Amino acid sequence: MSAPMPRAIEPIVLPDWLRSALSQPASTRIAPSDQQMMSSEQFLAWGLPTARDEEWRWTSLRPIARLAIADAKGEQAAPADDAPHLPHALVIRLVGGQLQPLPKNVPAGLTLTPLSHAHEIDRAAAFQPSAQGRNDALLALNTACATEGFVLDIAANTVITAPIVLEWLDNNTRSNHSQTRVLIRVGANSSATVLETTHAPLQSTHWRNAVSVIEQGANSQLTQISLGLAGDARLLTDRSFVHLARDARYRSINIQLGGQLTRREIDVNISESGAHCDLLGLMMPRGKQVMDTHTRITHGAPHTTSNEQYQIIADDAGRGIFKGRILVAEDAQKIEAYQNSRNLLLSNTAEIDTKPELEIYADDVKCSHGATIGRLDDEALYYLQSRGISRSNARKLLITGFAQEIIDALPYPELVEQMSALMRAHLSDAP
Amino acid sequence: MSEQHEIEALVSRDYKYGFVTDIEQEIIPPGLNEDVVRLISAKKNEPEFLLEWRLKAYRHWLTMTPPAWAHVHYPPIDYQALSYYAAPKSAAEQAEIDANRPKSLDEVDPKLLEMYAKLGIPLHERAALAGVAVDAVFDSVSVTTTFREKLAEVGVIFCSFSEAVHSHPDLIKKYLGTVVPAGDNYYAALNSAVFSDGSFVFIPKGVRCPMELSTYFRINAMNTGQFERTLIVAEEGAHVSYLEGCTAPQRDENQLHAAVVELVALDDATIKYSTVQNWYPGDEHGKGGIYNFVTKRGDARGNRSKITWTQVEAGSAITWKYPSCILRGDDSVGEFYSVAVSNNYQQVDSGTKMIHLGKRTRSTIVSKSISAGRSQNAYRGLVHIAKTADDARNYTQCDALLIGDRNGAHTFPYIESKNASAQIEHEATTTKVSDDQIFYLKSRGITEENATNMIVNGFCKEVFNELPMEFAVEAQALLAVSLEGSVG
Repeated sequence: MSAPMPRAIEPIVLPDWLRSALSQPASTRIAPSDQQMMSSEQFLAWGLPTARDEEWRWTSLRPIARLAIADAKGEQAAPADDAPHLPHALVIRLVGGQLQPLPKNVPAGLTLTPLSHAHEIDRAAAFQPSAQGRNDALLALNTACATEGFVLDIAANTVITAPIVLEWLDNNTRSNHSQTRVLIRVGANSSATVLETTHAPLQSTHWRNAVSVIEQGANSQLTQISLGLAGDARLLTDRSFVHLARDARYRSINIQLGGQLTRREIDVNISESGAHCDLLGLMMPRGKQVMDTHTRITHGAPHTTSNEQYQIIADDAGRGIFKGRILVAEDAQKIEAYQNSRNLLLSNTAEIDTKPELEIYADDVKCSHGATIGRLDDEALYYLQSRGISRSNARKLLITGFAQEIIDALPYPELVEQMSALMRAHLSDAP
Repeated sequence: MSEQHEIEALVSRDYKYGFVTDIEQEIIPPGLNEDVVRLISAKKNEPEFLLEWRLKAYRHWLTMTPPAWAHVHYPPIDYQALSYYAAPKSAAEQAEIDANRPKSLDEVDPKLLEMYAKLGIPLHERAALAGVAVDAVFDSVSVTTTFREKLAEVGVIFCSFSEAVHSHPDLIKKYLGTVVPAGDNYYAALNSAVFSDGSFVFIPKGVRCPMELSTYFRINAMNTGQFERTLIVAEEGAHVSYLEGCTAPQRDENQLHAAVVELVALDDATIKYSTVQNWYPGDEHGKGGIYNFVTKRGDARGNRSKITWTQVEAGSAITWKYPSCILRGDDSVGEFYSVAVSNNYQQVDSGTKMIHLGKRTRSTIVSKSISAGRSQNAYRGLVHIAKTADDARNYTQCDALLIGDRNGAHTFPYIESKNASAQIEHEATTTKVSDDQIFYLKSRGITEENATNMIVNGFCKEVFNELPMEFAVEAQALLAVSLEGSVG
């Protein structure tokens, strides 16, 4: 009759290195000073979120508190040999969050300015998303501590066909964490593809807490690709705030293979008619990896559409988490929004959690979502085996076929090919 | 435009059951402390173990905060301003004497009977015609119980909770709080501390309950929280269908209702729990109405056991309710069928939890919500597959129908899987009544009102089909009341 009372969740004790980061001189940080002050106070009041916080119900940030301090002689991060190699790509390299000298082949219409040298107005734009009201501790921390970042401007009426590659090399030689801030502005009628990869040493753990602000002008087009490549120990918390003007089209493809803990948040605000967004994602946690994506699409104007497809394949003791929210504001009529979360759970020690949400305040809408968590189809396995394919190969075929759906959506045939190979290698590698 | 008006008219309705019955009430002064808990227990002449249990729950409640995660908004409740016990005077005296209960309906306060008649529940008639045993709960103390002997013949115990505490303390001790622990959540802890009365049902091994069991809850006294406690136990191979329906008088002040329902199904047992809820939802400006913060949970403890929740939710200003199933036994089955209608300023945050623990456990969730006026209607559900639940299966369908453009329909499903052999499917849609469908039906000579009626009824059909016969009629009547005013 006396069942145990539920146990309380302990708050995370802030490590000293994080406290000292908050007390660095204001001049070394890049946010407008009043925002720095306020955000710093907010973060100290909130602390790192725990499972008590609905948004962090499934993902624990405790590994951050256990991070080792910086080691000047530590391992250097370098792009892995198998990192995607795209001809004609414009590679922007950031080591420990610091912008490296630009290559020579910068196309016309593209400008890149470090935030520390940016105009006050641009800096204000980069720090526009406010942690206030969101109760977002990591955003507050980033605003308070950001020391690195840049503004990427694509002028109006510019079409850049070559991929713009942002290569983050995260290592612990200067600090065990970096707080980075990026502002990407795509002018009216322009088009670009931005590809982000993150590399970190295999052993020592670095935490990057990143914030990207994306402003798309009318009728512009942006494809943002985030690749978490295999085989390192990094912790990454990354959020994008995307703002779409009239008829703009935003496409995000998020493929996660590596990293110890990856948490991405994509917040798309469709505030003018005719705009559309596609969010595609594939997360393949293995070993003890934790991969988490939270998306939020706000339809704030009538006649806007969105389409979302996320897939998780979890094996070993991996954990995959997806939370997608579609919000249709009052008076935003004629909305079509579809969301699909399909997941494969391959091991009894792995876990998948998904939460597709609809929040709808208008009536003339067509919104739906679907979510499945399942295993490989027994009949398909049997069929393949009856054709002389071994069970393990049949499994592999079905899993790669499932994962390929997202990879095939990538632009550039070379990229599709290279990512397919990486995905297959990730599947067969022992954790 | 006229179509829009027609549709709006369909769900706008006045509350039919708004009146107050003037019966002398015995009320403990407002406020809550250990003495009040002791007083409630003493008034009911409870054994020591129950008082201890209440006090433990009360002390735990003091350490808790009200949940804030639901998609509902209301001013903070002053728990010290509420009264925690009220009983119709004559019945309260009886509770103390206990033996001196009314032997027939003639002994019951005629005003009470009149009230049931106004509600369309002629107790004796209904009992006789439908073969239903009605355990009518008037506020806190059970007033009358019928068909007791017939049930006793097969060994079924169906009585008020306070009566069961005296007649079957061993069963209460064995099962109370085993499904919803005293500290489970804020409102469950409050209920555990101050619960007034409710129903107790025990179906012994191998018995199929010969009739549908039914109870009517009514909230009456001003500012009195109603804290019902229901416990249903079905032993091995037993079968029971339990019906619950409610209406409440019209009043301006918000009333809190924090009930706890616990179901226990042992091996091969089946429990079907159906609810039609039509409490006062507040007026068209969102003033008044019942706060319905209920914890309902079934424990499918035995192998091959089955628990079904069916609900039609039309009333209450705020609904916070998640009838859940813990599928503990192998091959156990959990089902949840729900229709939630909200209008004016009603707020609904309701759904279910299916916790799969046993092997080959199966669950089905069908949730239909209809929101109109300025109401907010949210489905919140959890499907959890534990590591042990090999070959578990879940299917979830959540559909929302929007009527008018000033309301909200939301879906918050939590899906968690830790077993690789489990299969989970969830789908949800949100749409309005389609103009094409209305046009088609009108072109076939069906009036707009009937057309909308048909579409809304069709939308809910899957759930109505799951209701027991008597309730299906009542649910359709309820929907018909909702559709009143659309003629002309």
